[in-house]
Amino acid sequence: MYQYDDHDRRIITDRAHQFRGQVSRRLSGEITEEEFKPLRLQNGLYMQLHAYMLRVAIPYGLLGSAQVRKLAHIARTYDRGYGHLTTRQNLQYNWPKLTDVPAILDELASVEMHAVQTSGSCIRNITADHFAGIARDELEDPRPYCEILRQWSTFHPEFAHLPRKFKIAVTGAPGTDRAAVRFHDIGLRIVENAAGERGFEVIVGGGLGRTPMIGEVIREFLPKRHLLSFIESILRVYNLHGRRDNKYKARIKILVSALGIDEFRRRVEEDWEASRTPELELADEEVARVSAFFAPPPYETLPANDRVDGLVLGRDRELGNWVRNNVVAHKVPGYSAVVISVKKPGIPPGDVSDTQLDAIADVSDRYSFGHVVVTHTQNLVLPDVKTSELPRLHAELRALDLGEANANKLTDVITCPGLDYCDLANARSIPLSLEIAQRFDRIDYLNDVGDVSIKISGCINACGHHHVGNIGILGIDKRGEEFYQLMLGGSPGNDASIGKILGRALAQDEIVDAVEKVLGRYLEARESPDERFLETVRRVGFDPFKEAVYGTTDSLEAAGDSP
Amino acid sequence: MRIIRDRAIVEDDFVRVPDGAEPPAGAKPIVRLADFIVAREELLARHAAVGVQVSPDKLPADIPDLQRLALIAIEFPRFTDGRGYSVARMLRQRHAYRGELRAVGWVLHDQLQYLERCGFNAFELQPGKPLDSALGAFGELSVTYQAAVDEPRPLYRRR
Amino acid sequence: MTASSTHWIVTGNFTEDGAVAWRRPDGTWSRRIADAGLVVDEETAKALSTTARATEQREICEPYGIEVQVDGDTIDPLTARQRIRANGPTIQLRRPD
Repeated sequence: MYQYDDHDRRIITDRAHQFRGQVSRRLSGEITEEEFKPLRLQNGLYMQLHAYMLRVAIPYGLLGSAQVRKLAHIARTYDRGYGHLTTRQNLQYNWPKLTDVPAILDELASVEMHAVQTSGSCIRNITADHFAGIARDELEDPRPYCEILRQWSTFHPEFAHLPRKFKIAVTGAPGTDRAAVRFHDIGLRIVENAAGERGFEVIVGGGLGRTPMIGEVIREFLPKRHLLSFIESILRVYNLHGRRDNKYKARIKILVSALGIDEFRRRVEEDWEASRTPELELADEEVARVSAFFAPPPYETLPANDRVDGLVLGRDRELGNWVRNNVVAHKVPGYSAVVISVKKPGIPPGDVSDTQLDAIADVSDRYSFGHVVVTHTQNLVLPDVKTSELPRLHAELRALDLGEANANKLTDVITCPGLDYCDLANARSIPLSLEIAQRFDRIDYLNDVGDVSIKISGCINACGHHHVGNIGILGIDKRGEEFYQLMLGGSPGNDASIGKILGRALAQDEIVDAVEKVLGRYLEARESPDERFLETVRRVGFDPFKEAVYGTTDSLEAAGDSP
Repeated sequence: MRIIRDRAIVEDDFVRVPDGAEPPAGAKPIVRLADFIVAREELLARHAAVGVQVSPDKLPADIPDLQRLALIAIEFPRFTDGRGYSVARMLRQRHAYRGELRAVGWVLHDQLQYLERCGFNAFELQPGKPLDSALGAFGELSVTYQAAVDEPRPLYRRR
Repeated sequence: MTASSTHWIVTGNFTEDGAVAWRRPDGTWSRRIADAGLVVDEETAKALSTTARATEQREICEPYGIEVQVDGDTIDPLTARQRIRANGPTIQLRRPD
């Protein structure tokens, strides 16, 4: 992984020092909360319902074990003993004191971490495929470009006060997009043109929230050396012309939609022609320098290990289920990637304790070259595990309460913090996810239902990504009570689709029953156990599910409510 | 009125002229864009140095005769309105504007370094805000990753 | 016992640690909603908030008024959001502190 040099270190320590000054000017009253707010947001510090919340940046989700230990230490010392994994591969703390935040930032800086630009109207964490570098279907590792973009965007002086937040994602696997690039403000896909050159397909204007939209292609093939200058031009057009009058219409997707992609492209290309310089070109030397940090770790030369099938079908059922559901094929023979599910009944999805983090650091040192990756599904990945060591690893994870065999299954729920924590929420989301995890906590049922994503958001801001859940749930406030909109058929990948609301909003005591009915209808309707939930929905349409939940397919009767 | 110019605190030698009013003879006036568009030949003939103040929705193409202006002031009605950063950079880089570029309005200490990196060299802070400590803002981030007006090479060309 | 009646109180978050703050009748700030000073209407709450915003930045972030129901000694906010602010998250915390 990337190692800081003196320049990188200086940048982070200067920033921590600068923020220390800003905090003391806030505490002394020299600046007001109104003036302090954008400053603290640019350092990832929110004010939530009960406390401040600090969002630590985890660039493209990648962590070294020393960093994981530091995150554990911070949770233990400055917070309430746990951290929360987010849907953008970051980690947040829910209870830091403002007076402690300068010390926390210093601690983070000591392990090459920071909380820069994890909130506010600026360029946020660059996210990537959580199997980057190891996936069999990967054309090229996106992480060097994520790191280059991270550096380029950090303290970019021109784009610190955009109309709204700006999110970029990169994928290197053309066939399977695990980074949801079509739902980001800018999505980048590494592609190869007819001449065999590698470059980027640039997608712009995707997003969720109040108006979910699938991004459009602004450039089919952008040579690598033009990456930074071209993206600057996109940002510049957005900075100048994005709406600033209405917070809910301020994302770039609104501008692209209003202008149309052709006019938007014309303005970007015009700016790019006029402002790109030779210095702004991405130098081959820099790509090589950064790529070297992502060179493969010292893999042993091992025979291709077909033990995996044997484990799946072996006598140890718990191990078998875990290997089947949580272990992913690796491009290097004899190795596997392992998903550590933190989704256990009774635990809010994404929460992980300080003791678990410390243990994960140790486990990663012994099994995975000291690397861990945070996924945007609020889980963790050990990217480089010897297949022969899977049984031992599984036993250790089970002892840590991290051995749930539910990756990509029903109880691998993605949820935002919701009204229990968040100032923006209209309804609680965590209790719902806990009920789902409890109700369906039967491994045979999970395996039978197979791959299905449930995503829950407590408000229209969609931090739980409910629009792209196979089953999406949106909490709303109806006459002062919590109600839930149920939608089906969302998908964040190459086959991007936005979920469709099934019918009228459901009360808190109805929604989990409704989910069970939907699943029941799927089990009845599927052509075979191999047909996944999403495929069945797409094949049979919504009526059978409407009927299962509402007892009718009559549109009026099942009429949806707008939030 | 004291302002920051080229990282020093100086007395402002320009005079802001109300809309439609006649600038005093011998003065260095700052007029709003609409007035400049109407009376620019006269203003440029009568005064050795003329400045124009623009709202953040204006692009360089909206400012006629910009190379003859001694000063362009860009407004920040809210400090969160980031358009001026792009306009400034375009003026400096695409249009090679060499006069004074001044940030006015809601300009905070904590933005001075970014503003300067985008090409501003003069700043009016809000009344009551201390100028002396504001000067310290310019050196707060000693290393910069990306190219901007102050440094056309990204860090990877300087490492 | 008197029937419950609605009143207004002023709330915010402590600048230092972000904890929920409730304005006492004497103008100091408490961490317990039971200590909140009741005022008769929204305008009064708004005026107190505006003053606090202007003069107490060091202590309190962004104070504002909320409507509550009062039943004897119990002050009960009318919205779920405020109830959660008063009582904490509705889920069990690993280490409540």
